Amino acid sequence: MRTADEPTAEPRLPAPEASRRARWSATSAGAAIRDVARLLIVRVSLLVTLLAIVFAAVELLPGDAATATAERGESAAGLAARRHLLGLDQPLWTRFATWMTALPSGNLGVSARGRPVTEVLADPFPNTLVLALSALVLTVLASLALGCWAAARPGGLTDRVIGHLATSAFALPEYIVAIALVLPLALWTGLLPAVTVTDATGAPGSWTMLVMPVLALTIPQTGWNTRIVRGALADQAALPHVEAAGLDGLPAHVVVLRHALPGAVPTIAAGIATSAGMLFGGAVVVETLFNYPGVGTLLAGAVSDRDTPLVAGVAVCAGAAITIVLLASDVIRDVVVGGRR
Amino acid sequence: MLAAAALLAACSGGDTTSSDPAPSNAAGQPKQGGTLRIGALGRASAITRDPHGTQGNESDYLILALVYDTLTVPGADKNTVGRLAESWQASSDLKTWRFSIVKDAVFHDGAPVTAEDVVWSLRRLRSTPSGAARLPGIQAKNITADGPSTVVLTSDYPNAELPLLTRLTTFVLKKGTADDALESAPGTGPFELDWYRGGNARLIRNDRWHGGTVRLDAIEVTMFETSAAMANAVLAGQIDVASNVGAVAARTAEARKDVRVIRRPNDMSMPIVMRTADGPFADPRVREAMRLLVDRDAMVKQVLSGYGTVANDILGTGDPDYAKNIPQRSRNLDKAKALLSAAGFDLSKTYDLVTTEDIPGLAESATLFAAQAKDAGVKIQVVKQESGAFYEKTWLKGDLYTTYWGTNDSVVFFASKTMVSEAGQNEAGWSDTDFDAAYRKVLQTSDPGARSAALQDVQRIEHQRSGYLLWGMADGIDLADGKVHGLPELPGYGRVQLENVWLD
Repeated sequence: MRTADEPTAEPRLPAPEASRRARWSATSAGAAIRDVARLLIVRVSLLVTLLAIVFAAVELLPGDAATATAERGESAAGLAARRHLLGLDQPLWTRFATWMTALPSGNLGVSARGRPVTEVLADPFPNTLVLALSALVLTVLASLALGCWAAARPGGLTDRVIGHLATSAFALPEYIVAIALVLPLALWTGLLPAVTVTDATGAPGSWTMLVMPVLALTIPQTGWNTRIVRGALADQAALPHVEAAGLDGLPAHVVVLRHALPGAVPTIAAGIATSAGMLFGGAVVVETLFNYPGVGTLLAGAVSDRDTPLVAGVAVCAGAAITIVLLASDVIRDVVVGGRR
Repeated sequence: MLAAAALLAACSGGDTTSSDPAPSNAAGQPKQGGTLRIGALGRASAITRDPHGTQGNESDYLILALVYDTLTVPGADKNTVGRLAESWQASSDLKTWRFSIVKDAVFHDGAPVTAEDVVWSLRRLRSTPSGAARLPGIQAKNITADGPSTVVLTSDYPNAELPLLTRLTTFVLKKGTADDALESAPGTGPFELDWYRGGNARLIRNDRWHGGTVRLDAIEVTMFETSAAMANAVLAGQIDVASNVGAVAARTAEARKDVRVIRRPNDMSMPIVMRTADGPFADPRVREAMRLLVDRDAMVKQVLSGYGTVANDILGTGDPDYAKNIPQRSRNLDKAKALLSAAGFDLSKTYDLVTTEDIPGLAESATLFAAQAKDAGVKIQVVKQESGAFYEKTWLKGDLYTTYWGTNDSVVFFASKTMVSEAGQNEAGWSDTDFDAAYRKVLQTSDPGARSAALQDVQRIEHQRSGYLLWGMADGIDLADGKVHGLPELPGYGRVQLENVWLD
């Protein structure tokens, strides 16, 4: 569970070295900004490449938005009119260029059903952000707690139980978790609403409707991240300063939290960042199962409609959100590693 | 089918409420008030607010049909009954049709409905990309007003079935409604839009509705991506009605005493199409053999979980004039084998049956049919295609494939759309002189006796040798809480007629 660019040993800094670092702090702040800028450029170009792939991929699917949104048996003239309305009579490259040039101004084009994509996304995207971020926060808290608890007594009963549970949880597909939740919590006992029903604001009618979708996303991801936290802490435990803290007779929780955890943060941050992508992927399934009005359900429909602007719109929003999480993770790692260098 | 003489005598006068409260729903005296929470299928990506647009979502269509009136709607005893049109009359050549608009009809803002509004709306509908398919044979310029309350539609050819075309999408808006004002444009329907957001809506009663007393205070429509989620919602009590939720949900709900399963027969047809123009099924004896080797009872029982009825290879089973007197075809493997051998059908080959998962049960029907065909020595391999690929590569072209149709209450509708030689959606590439002649006679004959005979001919020829194998009809299935009464029991789009619903 160790990432390649992580330092393997962290010697304590001698005093003269520390003072030299203080003198150079202005320069290193500039370097940090340059680093973030470089990361940003890399991530943005990745996003543009992704969008080009989206355009090409939808094009490769059989049929097009005109046939997908037409009534069955519409005449050739009707289809031609529809293609013209949707701009499908333009070459793919032109459509991509037009769409990309409009993007910086926040214009995501018009969907195959004739609605502005920004309007189509206006309610679902915030709903998905709430769902995915709640799940992300819960995943972070739960996996840190479980990972640290397991690491406190390596090889103990708690460690083994948590280890097995985490592996099983990660192996569970979201839809299994969802069904396992909905039967006891909604259909048998009526404790929670079975599905999400939205009100006039376009948001779920009650916060209780979020509980099961969030849990269905959180449980598998917590399994994954608990393994990462536990693994990173095990790596740290082998380091001299952590071993020394243990030998000094400090309580196990102090050793884990004060001595092992800080060094494990870069690995943990990278693991959480991977989860961000997987949470958006899982949202497609979970939103459909709970009728949660987010971009996941929107995406599935957009693909079957060959609705390129809408698919690309979802990709941009999800891509931007994931990019921010990845950047945050990179920055956290830089700060932690830099601070300890 | 409506007899033309009755049409000429201004049929269905005054009968503006389309579905009589069904007997099983008539529990006591209807009560006033209450909010009905109903779920309907729909995808967020396919939301369409334009009443004349292509409605991909049942939820959107439901909302539109409650807010706006069409000229006519599907009915029970007659397949076309009046809504905003109270009566209609044809010229003797069956080309010119005059529709009288209900006298006291007003829009939700109080403005009276005029023939001009109707003409504007129908022309707008006609000018959409699907306009030609929705109002076939009626050019925009041939939609005119005659005085304040008469609308005249002139067809390019005689069409005794023209009123049928005005049932589903002829939503009437105010003349000159701007495209950007569509989403809040007043209608004339039994309910007014309170709010609409992301496929979900709340509608409130229109006390001035021309069609009679509406009892519900409000209807809340929730859009569901899947039947499974909608079924969970009704079982958990979050909605009162799950509209068109399907057989799987019905099976789950049968165990629940508090949830009622409403079966609307003749809702969906899933015929197997055999290409007649060329290929291995061009010989009528081969098609006859296929129709004899299918085990229809087993298909209904297994594919539809029993929520359906056996059919007789004639499409339009819900038509009041459906030919019930034509003997039911049933399984006869010996005869099937004899026909195949007489036709020289190559039993050593494996034939592809192309299907999709567009609707529940469709792919299963193909698989079961393939298994049954093996009993007669016919080797069929089921090939599943994704919807887009199917419509591009197989539909209208393939030798053997499954199709499905959601409106099944008119024999003539199918004859005109899918079977007459020049039909735009001639799924089997069928061209049969006798059939074409019989079909044209139906459209051109106003004498009820002669027309009825011609309609019988249409169905007899179709039963005998068309490219369709129609093994059964799926019921439309709604789940409803016990407190909901007066729900529609009509198949297809009849399910949206909620104006008679009341709660106790």
